[in-house]
Amino acid sequence: MRVAILCSSPYSETGCAAAARLSQLGYAPVGALTLPSWDRGTLTRKLGQWGLRESLRYAGSKLAPGKSTGGKQVRNPYLESALRHGEKVFRNLAEVASAHKFPIFTSGDQNSPRAIAQLKQWTPDLIVFTGGDILRRELLAVPRLGVLNAHLALLPQIRGMSSPEWSLMRGVPLGITIHFIDSGIDTGPVLLRRELSGVDQSQSWTDLRNRMIAEGIELIGEAVTGLDRGTLAAIPQADGDKDNQFFVMHERLKSIAARRLSQSRGVLVDAKSHG
Amino acid sequence: MNSEPSSGRRFTATKTGKVLAEATGLLRGPQRIVPLLVKLASDELHTGFAQRHLYSYASVTRPTPEALQDLVKWILDAQRADGGIAAYYSLLTGYSESYPEVTGYIIPTLYDYALATGDQRARAAAERATSWLLSLQLPSGAFPGGLHGASAAPSVFNTGQILQGLVRAHVETRSAEILRCATAAGDWLAQTQQPDGAWSGPGAYQEVAHTYYSMVSWALAQLAANSADSPYASAAERNIDWVLTNAKPSGWIDGINLQGHPAYLHFIAYVIQGVLECGILRHRENAIRAAGKAAWVLLRRFETHKFLFGTYGPDFKGGLRFTCLTGNAQMSCVWLRLFEVTGDLRYLNAALKMNEMLKQLMPTRGRRGVVGGVAGSSPIWGAYQPLRYISWGCKFFADALLLEQRLMHQVEVEFETRSASQVEGRVEVS
Repeated sequence: MRVAILCSSPYSETGCAAAARLSQLGYAPVGALTLPSWDRGTLTRKLGQWGLRESLRYAGSKLAPGKSTGGKQVRNPYLESALRHGEKVFRNLAEVASAHKFPIFTSGDQNSPRAIAQLKQWTPDLIVFTGGDILRRELLAVPRLGVLNAHLALLPQIRGMSSPEWSLMRGVPLGITIHFIDSGIDTGPVLLRRELSGVDQSQSWTDLRNRMIAEGIELIGEAVTGLDRGTLAAIPQADGDKDNQFFVMHERLKSIAARRLSQSRGVLVDAKSHG
Repeated sequence: MNSEPSSGRRFTATKTGKVLAEATGLLRGPQRIVPLLVKLASDELHTGFAQRHLYSYASVTRPTPEALQDLVKWILDAQRADGGIAAYYSLLTGYSESYPEVTGYIIPTLYDYALATGDQRARAAAERATSWLLSLQLPSGAFPGGLHGASAAPSVFNTGQILQGLVRAHVETRSAEILRCATAAGDWLAQTQQPDGAWSGPGAYQEVAHTYYSMVSWALAQLAANSADSPYASAAERNIDWVLTNAKPSGWIDGINLQGHPAYLHFIAYVIQGVLECGILRHRENAIRAAGKAAWVLLRRFETHKFLFGTYGPDFKGGLRFTCLTGNAQMSCVWLRLFEVTGDLRYLNAALKMNEMLKQLMPTRGRRGVVGGVAGSSPIWGAYQPLRYISWGCKFFADALLLEQRLMHQVEVEFETRSASQVEGRVEVS
């Protein structure tokens, strides 16, 4: 099975962890296509997503050595097992690529003719999407089997952005779906769908999201293995006629979602104390 | 002006003259030159450097009560000595004359603000505005169109918009005189309605029927709700029936019918808002559904691009690339009301972001008439009410913020209540 990876940045932990995990499973990527680390679009997106302070902190974590992991900081601790390589922890895509011997191609637009030509050269059976642009039809047509995505909610109920938060606010169980990307927003056929356990043990939203991302990478590994062995088949989504798309959640609603999460932890404590 | 640009063919003929007349305002008020240049430069910079992406407007940049206070202060400052509210503050000519139509439908906003904050100045302003309006009513029960003193011809739309204010003033004061004037206005509207439910002919703008007169139906439905008189209710419903015959599968509601003018978002939002509010008051599922369908199209556009065009063509196609701030504020109101009706948090979420965008475009510094104002267009030279801060923009944005405050409070309370009951429930099980 020839697998290529799409990453939002050479420093994307999710992208690095996905490439590393697939390599551990024997599916070392045939190539990784990434957006540049500091192009204007990425910078604007990250600033909008995280704000200035958090963006600077993130940039700092990539440049300065940390203490907790023997010299290298891991932003998402749940990814450490995927990122660990002997004594070393992968910090960026170049390190993963060097260890597992696959090429990296950087493009400011994953849908550009140059990027697509490069992907075609790698002749992938499958592409794993870990972040970046909205993918156009030309790119989706490159791999023989399709482009895989790990969506941080159960499909088809919650499509789109801020999906864990919307799941909680809508009373839909938290979970992850591995699906093929098609021309819609999270509307492609589903390979795997799993509810997240132990939600009430999460310390915070960040912690919960980190767990979900790590779980998503594990499921990507399962999906690639299943497709390779022919034990897994994609199923078209039901509710195709319903408009289940959600958009980035405003921080005032997010704070209610966060309180709902912390309340669920409080419930557990209360219940035990009464037991 | 506000809803009804000055009449049809004359508009083109007099446009150059109006622009020249406004420009000479700078000669009479040279102190306005610097603020004008500053605003033009800052909007040029903003237009050049503004970056919109999926995460835009998802954070609070300014507290809602503070923005609301500035908006209402702008409205109070715009109240003229006669009690009417000016239509606009022009960067060229300063404040306009009092504008009966807007003065009418600003009254509910002032009462809502007074109720929410205890600010008695807003209540007093609403009472002065009502007194002034009563003095303008024609013997037929109708109200005249245009700026104060510009026309004595009765206007369906202006009568409907003023009726909203009279109904609310009666609710607040229980004055028999106000009720008598309101019912006279309602009677005139019911009498001039065509058999098909539309208003056309002499009292209608350009003498043709318009779907944005759904706002008139809303006023009639309010009057019916407060006077238990079915003729007003049936007049409102007949008009909504007619408006809904213009609804297209795309969600677009046709029939704005402004000859010589594009369909500004302000008018599109009027159609939707009138249909929705009338639908809510009259328990008309089909009206709420039609309004929801149109509102959802605009919500998706806003969420995807963080921008709504200043104008749209039929089926929401095409459009001029500027922001009609008033239309955006109205859509925020529509989304908030749809959240209230359907419980779908996506409407509330979009409105919170829209309100953030509008807050960011509100001047926090500057002279009276500018600070706290809502411009006709962003950038300020856009096609809708260029170089002006308009009172109805402030009104709709204040409405949106008042709704936001009320509904967010409800959501918080509901969350707390649900959480508490969940805790109790789980404890019992354990």
